[in-house]
Amino acid sequence: MNKKTTTILGSLILLGILLLLANTFLRGYYLRLVILLAVTCIVALGVNITNGYTNIFSLGFGGTMMVAGYATAILTLPPAYKKAVLHLPLWLEQIQVAFPLALLIAGILAVIASVILLLPAFRLEGQYFILASMGINIVMGNLAENLRGITHGDMGLRNIPAFTNIWWAYGILLVVIYATHRLVNSRFGRGLIAISKDQELASVMGVPVVRYKIMSFAIGSFITGIGAALWVHLVLTMNPKAFSLVYVFQLVAMLAIGGIGTISGPLIGTAILTIGTELLAPLQEGFTCMGLSIPPVFGLVNVLMAVLLVIIMIFKPRGLMNGREVWNILNPPKKGGQ
Amino acid sequence: MGVLYFFQQLINGLSYGSILALLAIGYTMIYGILGLINFAHGEIFMIGAFCSYLLIMNAAASFWTGLIGAIGGAVLAGLLIEKLVYGPCLKKSPEVLTVFIASFGASLGLRNIFVMIFGDGRRAFPTPEFLEGIIVTKSGLFLNVKDLWILAITGILLISVTLFIKYTKVGTAMRAIAYDPNAAMLVGVNSATLVLLAFIIGSGLAGISAVSYGISFGIVNPSMGYIIGLNGFIAAVLGGIGNIPGAAIAGYIIGLGEVLFVAFLPPAWSAIRPLFVWALLFLILFIKPSGLFRPNIKIE
Repeated sequence: MNKKTTTILGSLILLGILLLLANTFLRGYYLRLVILLAVTCIVALGVNITNGYTNIFSLGFGGTMMVAGYATAILTLPPAYKKAVLHLPLWLEQIQVAFPLALLIAGILAVIASVILLLPAFRLEGQYFILASMGINIVMGNLAENLRGITHGDMGLRNIPAFTNIWWAYGILLVVIYATHRLVNSRFGRGLIAISKDQELASVMGVPVVRYKIMSFAIGSFITGIGAALWVHLVLTMNPKAFSLVYVFQLVAMLAIGGIGTISGPLIGTAILTIGTELLAPLQEGFTCMGLSIPPVFGLVNVLMAVLLVIIMIFKPRGLMNGREVWNILNPPKKGGQ
Repeated sequence: MGVLYFFQQLINGLSYGSILALLAIGYTMIYGILGLINFAHGEIFMIGAFCSYLLIMNAAASFWTGLIGAIGGAVLAGLLIEKLVYGPCLKKSPEVLTVFIASFGASLGLRNIFVMIFGDGRRAFPTPEFLEGIIVTKSGLFLNVKDLWILAITGILLISVTLFIKYTKVGTAMRAIAYDPNAAMLVGVNSATLVLLAFIIGSGLAGISAVSYGISFGIVNPSMGYIIGLNGFIAAVLGGIGNIPGAAIAGYIIGLGEVLFVAFLPPAWSAIRPLFVWALLFLILFIKPSGLFRPNIKIE
């Protein structure tokens, strides 16, 4: 066993022990926060594949996540509930599948949705594409509000079975981290990075630009779709506002603060914003401190997040990680290897 | 559903289109000069509306003072955003994406500062009495006085901005820098001044547009600039980015289209009104990716 394997195994075991402790001693809200962190990390890494590595800045992932979220909810809700509130075809009403299968189907549907929705947008470039992809979120949100037979409209779906636990969330997160790592260091991943640097040059060098772009969208959407499904089975409700532009922008902020185009960047950004938001939440709702009652200040967390985002964009335009990975900083790779 | 009904809706659409047209000019001007979407433009609009609301309600100012306050507040907000966010960002890294994310941060921050201070509830905008009347024409058409005022003021503004951009030296310089910044700077155009000027004109128009919104919809709230800002931006794209008359015309097309869409389709469809704008955008971008009119930016 060399040093690298030992380090990785050691940290995996440490993580396992920490999670076991968390699962044993944390309850309710705090346990949910620990799980939510992993779920958001999964979504962030999925978005990172397109927005970070391939450098196609899409805001359309909210729409594909909505597809995945409703899919998994409908697939796992008890038939009696669906019969009461929804108008579905009989087979969809009767169906109730196991959690792993629901996750998989949600991921695949997200891929299909992303290809149908985003392929046309490939005709557009730069900021036009950003605008079109943003439209996809608004259109999907509006459809979800109005297709009441499938989504129950604004009321949303409730009592979704609670399947997401700490092991599912962190297990899938580890798989996603490993998969991203392998992907980026493969021929395909280098192709994506080449596309992000200079599309024409990459095409001249023999990178199949369109095929690789579609594949990167498919892979990214699959991961975000699974993230969305995990989120639904953690929060236990699904409504048209769940993955609206507010959520999308929070994720963009997480990616931008951490640093896109790396694996550790999105993880760090997600950790900062998720934990920061929860720590500051009491401030926003008002509290009493030593007989002094502080009035609630709604929107404070968002203001602080926005200020942090702007400051980081000014002083560290490529995010905190600045295009590097944590492990490369701690343990720099040997120079002159090539 | 006679001719009368159609004309009635036409006036409504034109009035709504005026609000979008004024907003779209701000987007297209700033995009032309800085090459970036000023995502916080909707918040500049909101700040303008709040300034006039506060002046009229709390300082007992007249409507016209409120209007001037809206313009002043919006211009101040625009300049602050330029100085605090875009200026430093562009100096550090010219990458479009970074500045776009920063502008989105500015938008989120400003909106939530107002949520923090005023709460997210809707407040009634104080419409002055002389705007409240209704004129009935001989043919039986009901005309809101406020719609006529909005149309008249917007018309004058649009014509003067178009003339300014087309015929004055400064206007020519603005078009030149939008078309090709390097060549414009080579012949001695001062881009720093023009950036400020674009923010001043764009934000000022957004302030006027905000007051129009206030009197025509009767409300102000911190998230009012969000959807309408997006629609204004869509108008800027449809009009061919950087093309100022194009942006204004596209604003009217969207405004009219949206109102007539709701007026002439079954009432059950009115819930999907937001879809109309996006459907129009997708349709036009696929047929003609550069917008309806010729964009005033160099396409490589």
